[in-house]
Amino acid sequence: MKVVLIPGVLALRPEYASLIDPVAELRAAVDAAVAWAGSDGLVVVGNGSAKRTEKAPGYLDERAEGFDAALRDALAEPSPEALRGVDPALAEELWASVESLGTLADALEGARLVSVDYDDAPYGVQYWVMRWQR
Amino acid sequence: MLVVTLKLGRHAFDDNDALMMAIVNRTPDSFFDQGATWAEDKAFERVRQVVAQGAEIVDIGGIKAAPGVEIGPEEEKARVVDFVARVRAEFPSLVISVDTWRAEVGDAVCRAGADVLNDAWGGADPELVDVAAQHRAAIICTHTGGVTPRTRPYRIEYDDVVAAVLADCEAYAQRALDAGVARDSIVIDPAHDFGKNTFHSLEVTRRLPELVATGWPVLVSLSNKDFVGETLDVPVGERLTGTLAATAVCALAGARIYRVHQVVETRQTVDMVWSIAGRRPPARAIRGLQ
Repeated sequence: MKVVLIPGVLALRPEYASLIDPVAELRAAVDAAVAWAGSDGLVVVGNGSAKRTEKAPGYLDERAEGFDAALRDALAEPSPEALRGVDPALAEELWASVESLGTLADALEGARLVSVDYDDAPYGVQYWVMRWQR
Repeated sequence: MLVVTLKLGRHAFDDNDALMMAIVNRTPDSFFDQGATWAEDKAFERVRQVVAQGAEIVDIGGIKAAPGVEIGPEEEKARVVDFVARVRAEFPSLVISVDTWRAEVGDAVCRAGADVLNDAWGGADPELVDVAAQHRAAIICTHTGGVTPRTRPYRIEYDDVVAAVLADCEAYAQRALDAGVARDSIVIDPAHDFGKNTFHSLEVTRRLPELVATGWPVLVSLSNKDFVGETLDVPVGERLTGTLAATAVCALAGARIYRVHQVVETRQTVDMVWSIAGRRPPARAIRGLQ
């Protein structure tokens, strides 16, 4: 099975379209990954902290970078066990959208990473687009 | 909002485009610039500047609107015809409008490459519509209350100024249609300050939705005019804020063409209102949407 992670960015939705796409690069990565997953694949929505910079929606929290780094490693390995071990209280404090990590952890049992298509925090929120194959 | 596809000579525009028509005076005495672009090279620099600022249309005029030294058709042609040809050659995708009421001048500028005849004087020369039809040019049908070109309004009153504007503009548009001008090449303009006192121009602005509802694309020419000056008690040169306020009201109503001195400021005003009205997405929105 193909598994994809994308961030839940509202700016990706058509009702929030701008003349100049503020998330053009992310959109391209999301579209390609979702297309790759196809109708049989699993697309999971989630992202890292929204407190990565002073301009971030949740302002800067010094713990956010480390939290995201650990989460990135768990995703890239992938390590379902590490994903299940993410501290939900800290995630909430850091405005990380990790509600679907449980589903993702189950789907990634025995899976291998195919690619990391996007890994950046352009607006103070950590986004990943990743693909796995099981 | 009723939308009409707009064809201006050799150029066509989408239903919802708002267009900037930049004023280019080939006159020594127009009220706003006082002859700043009287020299041909200065006028050409002005064209280059407004094109760089994003104006879709230039409106070239050889005679100031207010009373003054009489300019015959030969002199008017000498001021604008070769200039139109020069602008046409350098800016093939620019819409060229010429501000004239004379059919003879209209014919000459269309031969030189003009796309639009902007008749600010409400059809004073009945043959202007024939010239527009013959050259497949667009025509701006204005309301002046029947005054003679280049006269100021004096004690003009209307039972209902907007009803008069509607009746005259629609009659003029019909005359243009009958003469063979294409339906999508006819624009109406209530002509603020022309045959109107300040109260009339304010009422026309307030009731602009009635003009838009006719289905004809509406042009507004508000820029730095006396009705702005009298409303705010400010001289020429201090009327930009008032002009932009009136512009915003007309934009909300759905006016399609804005005849302006200040292209950048007017464009921003109209873009802002267009987005408020839901006709244009924001340029780049990410706040709260990350």
